[in-house]
Amino acid sequence: MMLSVTPQHFLILSFLLVGIGFLGLLIRRNVLLMLMSLELMLNGINVALLTFSRVGGNLDGGIFVFFIMTVAAAEVAVGLALLVALYKKRNSVLSDDMGLLKN
Amino acid sequence: MVFSRHPVSAAMFMIVSLVGVAALFVLLESFFLAILQVLVYAGAVMVLFLFIIMLLDVGPEAGKRKLSHFKTGIFGILATFLLVGILLILGNSYDSLALDQSIWPELSESKDGGASQGLPFSTKVSSFGYGLMTKYMLPIQVSGFMLLAAMVGVIILSKKTPSREDVK
Amino acid sequence: MISIALSMLFLPLLSAAVTLLFLRKNGNLASLLSVSTAGGILVLALVLIFSDNPVPLAWDTTWFAMGGWELRFGFLIDAPAKLLLFIVAFVGFLIHIFSLGYMADDPARPRYFGGLSIFMFSMLGITLADNLVMIFVFWELVGFSSYLLIAHYFKTDEATKASRKAFIVNRVGDFGFLIGIVLTYWTYGTLNLSELADLADFSPNLATTGLCLALACGFVVKSAQFPLHVWLPDAMAGPTPVSALIHAATMVAAGVYLLLRIDFLFTEEALGLIAFLGAAMGLYAGFCALVQRDVKKILAYSTLSQLGYMAAAFGLGAPGVALFHLTTHAFFKALMFLGSGSVIHACHHEQDIFNYGGLRKRMPITALTFLIGVLAISGVNFLSGYFSKDAILLWAYNFNMPIFVILYAGAILTSIYMFRLYFITFEGKARSKYAEDAKENSFLMTGPLLVLAVFSVFGGYQSLYPDQLGAYLGPDLSAVSLLPHHMWMIVLGTSAWIIGLLVAKTLFSKVLQDDPLARRFPAFYELCRSKLFFDEIYQIYLSKIQDPLARFIEVMELLFISGLMVRGAAGVAALFSMLAKLCYVGKIHAYAFWFILGTLGFLFYAAGLVGN
Repeated sequence: MMLSVTPQHFLILSFLLVGIGFLGLLIRRNVLLMLMSLELMLNGINVALLTFSRVGGNLDGGIFVFFIMTVAAAEVAVGLALLVALYKKRNSVLSDDMGLLKN
Repeated sequence: MVFSRHPVSAAMFMIVSLVGVAALFVLLESFFLAILQVLVYAGAVMVLFLFIIMLLDVGPEAGKRKLSHFKTGIFGILATFLLVGILLILGNSYDSLALDQSIWPELSESKDGGASQGLPFSTKVSSFGYGLMTKYMLPIQVSGFMLLAAMVGVIILSKKTPSREDVK
Repeated sequence: MISIALSMLFLPLLSAAVTLLFLRKNGNLASLLSVSTAGGILVLALVLIFSDNPVPLAWDTTWFAMGGWELRFGFLIDAPAKLLLFIVAFVGFLIHIFSLGYMADDPARPRYFGGLSIFMFSMLGITLADNLVMIFVFWELVGFSSYLLIAHYFKTDEATKASRKAFIVNRVGDFGFLIGIVLTYWTYGTLNLSELADLADFSPNLATTGLCLALACGFVVKSAQFPLHVWLPDAMAGPTPVSALIHAATMVAAGVYLLLRIDFLFTEEALGLIAFLGAAMGLYAGFCALVQRDVKKILAYSTLSQLGYMAAAFGLGAPGVALFHLTTHAFFKALMFLGSGSVIHACHHEQDIFNYGGLRKRMPITALTFLIGVLAISGVNFLSGYFSKDAILLWAYNFNMPIFVILYAGAILTSIYMFRLYFITFEGKARSKYAEDAKENSFLMTGPLLVLAVFSVFGGYQSLYPDQLGAYLGPDLSAVSLLPHHMWMIVLGTSAWIIGLLVAKTLFSKVLQDDPLARRFPAFYELCRSKLFFDEIYQIYLSKIQDPLARFIEVMELLFISGLMVRGAAGVAALFSMLAKLCYVGKIHAYAFWFILGTLGFLFYAAGLVGN
């Protein structure tokens, strides 16, 4: 039996990427790694968007991917700057050391 | 990636998965986005990550002890076998990695980049440009402005703020 | 012309704003600014009065509109408005100059002169306004500036209490005035004075007694007539020039002026009531003035009594005569108040007349001008008060004998207490150290006195008035001149002031530290001192009726509004906040988890897996 690549494969992969990213967000306590996990989730969404775009024969999804990349790049820049500023104050990049509001 | 405690190795795995996503983009015949993915993510973003990791000198998270070299070697060999096996199976099952025309719609390549028919999917970069400059004019302005704001914000954040010791 | 009127109106407002915002520290600059503003007002007012423009000069524009209803802002400058404009601008200017001397060593001059400017602004507004709402707005503004200026010496208990009393009593009357305005709008559908006049002419039966009595409430409180007169004597706690300007010459006269503006609305019954109340006030205030020891309170009661004369003249159907008396009264009462201010200033703020004495030799100009004022108010022949007061008396003699009797008794009393004041203050020997050391004041203070004295002497000759000012007085005064019993009235009037002079001479020309009246007629003295117990009656009303009611309402408020609604709502919010606090765990992972869970829930909902 010959298999072929269907849109479902892409969607499952995208779901897996988002799931893995989310899992990383939950289990990692290093804010750097949490940011990376966010990037991974965004990538999963990009895959899904592009798949839909390709299936629908419409470029709108592709353009959305383009925008998401822009936003993600800006987000990483700002997030890392914040992290550096925080590191200067706290001397740590662990999320456990950053809670000030409770306890 | 998410199971590695050391940030540097996590970043390396991340680059691998990003490049993999770029490859998927190629498979979806969206070459421009694939190039962007490699340039922006694997190039810029991950370099930034690594740079920060090195700047802050972040070590591995505290937790369970590391696996010994021996066990790592065994797992590596097992993983290699697994990978080869998967590739073999896939290579036998799928007739090609190209998209099956019966499931995936055919691409219409009109000369004006699809200006006359809305925004059809296209491999051309010019179609992207056309879409961005017509239908998505406002969003692109907004995102440009957002980039400017992010830049200004980062500059302000990274300015040397007087710490408590300096104030004293 | 309109631009002149507008700039005249807003000039003092600008001056007050500049003074109160920027010159709080600079007394000299503030007083100069305020005085030059008053001078500017006088010049503009004269230009406005004597330029040949149509009479009445009416102009209006939309102030603001709400739906189909709009509020107009406009001027109606007719003959009485011009006369009052002249009085306000002229007397105001003189009093500003006087204040320069009187307030010279007061640390809070900017506040004082700022208040004066606000007063000038609002008083001009009342004078020029062409509709009742505008009058009401400026009406409240004069009340406010009066409050501000009475409380000028706010460090003394007396001044703060007096200012509060004036404010609250004014609210009571203004409430009636407001009801009257609403009723007027309801009845006639307009508040513009000229339109009202036309409507009232076409259908006189529209005017009802209740409506005009409600409007007259404004007059009653502002002119301090019975039963809301209690604030005016206390208001003397303010600086003396303020008493002269606001509480003698202009603001209290605004009540009479309001009556003139809306005289077409009044019915016979209402007019009769006003005449009777006015006459009674003339007599009652005379008795009160007879036994006062404070120089300013004597003058305050005298003001009440003269305002009663104006009200009586108006009530008897002679508004022109009322305005005439208002004019002359403004001159001689301002003169006497400023004279008393001069005395008070020279005696280091001693106000008890039994501590004066023998001031004629030490302060000749003040004494002379004050004497002119006394003679004028007593109605000595051929001075200003003679013409205006005897016109009222003659009118009453011909149309309403009981009121004439009351007014005539009031006239005798007036001359008694006025000569009493003069004798005790200026004749005899000095009875205190301050009076011995008193010196004549500078020209800043005597100058206005001299000018006002000239006006007090000649202000009664109607033929001296230029046409622009005297137009409104003409018809009524010629009607007076045609009335019978002229000679009889001259005899009566002359005998009134001579009786007063003789009584005062026998009783008061040689006094010691205490009041001879108290020695000879103790019962009468005590009765007059008590001012017929008005303050006590109001006090009882407040403590027995109003306070328990207020306390009852307070309990209700505590129970229902504060307890049930406010605290109850806060309790509900607190409950929710406690619930919300449970979700707050302080771990970023927990938030991320809940966030994804929410997103998934939303996804399932959108996919139709849960809900709908």
